[in-house]
Amino acid sequence: MTTLENSTREKPFHREHRSTVGTFTSDNPRIVCRSVDVYYGEKHAVQNINIDVGRHQVIALIGPSGCGKSTFLRCLNRMNDTIPDCRVTGDISMDGIAINGPDVDVVPLRAQVGMVFQKPNPFPKSIFENVAYGPRIHGLATNPSDLEGIVENSLRRAGLWEEVKDRLAQPGTGLSGGQQQRLCIARTIAVNPEVILMDEPCSALDPIATAKIEQLIDELRTLYTIVIVTHSMQQAARVSQRTAFFHLGHLIEVGETAQVFTNPQHQLTEEYITGRFG
Amino acid sequence: MSDQNPRGHTLDIVMAGLSKRRNAEKRFRFFGLASIVVGLVFLLVLFISIIGNGYSAFTYSNVALDITFDPAVIDPEGQRNPAALAAADYDTLWKASLLKLFPQVTERQEKRALNAFMGFSADKRLKDMVAEDPTLIGTTKTVWLPVDDTVDLLFKGKLGNEEELNERNQHYQHWIKTLKDQDRIHSSFNREFFTNGDSREPEAAGIWGAVVGSAFTLLITIGLSLPIGIAAAIYLEEFAPRNRWTDLIEVNINNLAAVPSIVFGLLGLAVFINFFGLPRSSPLVGGLVLTLMTLPVIIIAGRSALKSVPPSVREAALGIGASPVQMVFDHVLPLALPGILTGAIIGTARALGESAPLLMIGMVAFIVDIPKTFTSAATVLPVQIYLWADSPERAFNERTSAAIMVLLAFLILMNGFAVYLRRRYERRW
Repeated sequence: MTTLENSTREKPFHREHRSTVGTFTSDNPRIVCRSVDVYYGEKHAVQNINIDVGRHQVIALIGPSGCGKSTFLRCLNRMNDTIPDCRVTGDISMDGIAINGPDVDVVPLRAQVGMVFQKPNPFPKSIFENVAYGPRIHGLATNPSDLEGIVENSLRRAGLWEEVKDRLAQPGTGLSGGQQQRLCIARTIAVNPEVILMDEPCSALDPIATAKIEQLIDELRTLYTIVIVTHSMQQAARVSQRTAFFHLGHLIEVGETAQVFTNPQHQLTEEYITGRFG
Repeated sequence: MSDQNPRGHTLDIVMAGLSKRRNAEKRFRFFGLASIVVGLVFLLVLFISIIGNGYSAFTYSNVALDITFDPAVIDPEGQRNPAALAAADYDTLWKASLLKLFPQVTERQEKRALNAFMGFSADKRLKDMVAEDPTLIGTTKTVWLPVDDTVDLLFKGKLGNEEELNERNQHYQHWIKTLKDQDRIHSSFNREFFTNGDSREPEAAGIWGAVVGSAFTLLITIGLSLPIGIAAAIYLEEFAPRNRWTDLIEVNINNLAAVPSIVFGLLGLAVFINFFGLPRSSPLVGGLVLTLMTLPVIIIAGRSALKSVPPSVREAALGIGASPVQMVFDHVLPLALPGILTGAIIGTARALGESAPLLMIGMVAFIVDIPKTFTSAATVLPVQIYLWADSPERAFNERTSAAIMVLLAFLILMNGFAVYLRRRYERRW
């Protein structure tokens, strides 16, 4: 294992970056991660991550491609379980309860930690069914009108209701890309989670749809804790309160977004946000 | 290395190679078209030969005879006793009637030919008429009776070359001509071909026994292989851990799909009949054997259909907290179902056309009765075709082709159903 660590450290940037710069703790954390490592088979993809996710705030994970930010994100709702050979070690807890143990049931966890994916992935079913599926499998609605209320409410909060209220029976896959992504957000919030994970939710969208999603993220912050992975530094700057910069599987720097973007502490962070690599 | 404008340079190279590329394209298109044409020609030849051979089996020739229901022959005791009526020799009636039509027949050879002119079921037909209505006795009535199968072939013009036209057949041809002139012979729909079981007499041989046997066998096959195959595919693809054991199972399923079907017949003989003592020649055992044969096909088709469901759908379901079972049954299975069903139907269609493994478990026996249960002795359509193709009587020739037509009709129906299912349930995402 020592040889492996040496080899990962001998990457183009010969800098010492084992420990994270900035304040990785939060006063009122919802999720606490300590010494999180992720391995894909032999590959040590994410190394020794320590970070807190604060309540009702948006934290952006930025960094160049392949830096492990999406991999880390998927630790938070155990989606890495679905990847064969993927191993996650370390302590991750949500509201003081450990979520990374083998004896943790992922079904209630994923009901609490929703996820929006990079590519809009509505179910090939009607718009109504897309949103109603989560509440239905979790038994959140006691009767059909209750369910209809949840669907309408979720679509309203996702800012999609006015556009689709007359065609709820039509397939969700028939919507435009931006609408599909908002449908996926509505589907996620229909389960009423505590945390929403977003994995580059705007990377497949045009600027107008992106602006809508960003506005939506800002509104949702009052109700949910949001962790967003993004390639766009402008987006991180616009929507997040805190920013974490990943590089080659290491968490380089965490801090208040304004501080990270205006006064980065680490040289790599500065080089990345000024566009010298990425 | 070159001081030319690199863009112009690229264009020159592209243009130089362009005709070669276009020619390769044309060649490929020609080969594709040619192979399709060759395939269609073979298909056409197959259909023409089968239909040309077999269509005549759907009709059969009958002759109108003025039958005198002579009480001296049918009921010499005058008791109208049903047992006595059933035991009487009705052949005498049509023989007398024919002799009246052809009074010139006096020679012994000729007479013997005339006595074989009518078919084997003419006797039964007359017997049934009398049993139904005993008042017929003593009257004379014109009755349409089936001819002998050789006469039928001669009338249809199916026998023509010299060796087939022996002395007796020449007599037949002569009489047929006379009957035709008197408008006493014609061909009508051969209902018995569709309602009878097998028989040694071509005129009484039908496919219904084989159709029922095939249906029973296929019911067992579908009833077992569909649920087991789909469940196995789902388990292996979605739930089984990836390890050495599942790899081994996968390799073996793929191998089983390539095992010659007769080997499954041997297995069925050893296991189901010799070990478990299930009845021989029965649709039950046939269905079990075909299930074993079809299972690998269904499992492989099912797994590839499940594999082709995009991972984004699985992630979406898992991401909102669906359990793996909910993910599979709510989202993955509905999307994979058309592919699974298509594979299953094509697998069962193969089972319907299979004969080799069924020979091993005794479904090749000569069975006259139409099977009533899953355990009664039966045969199936492809084996019936094999049996008839093996029979020496000329008239079985056209029946073989006709049975092939019926089997092909069933197969086309099943494949059409598979296409319909695919169209109906296929969804885009």
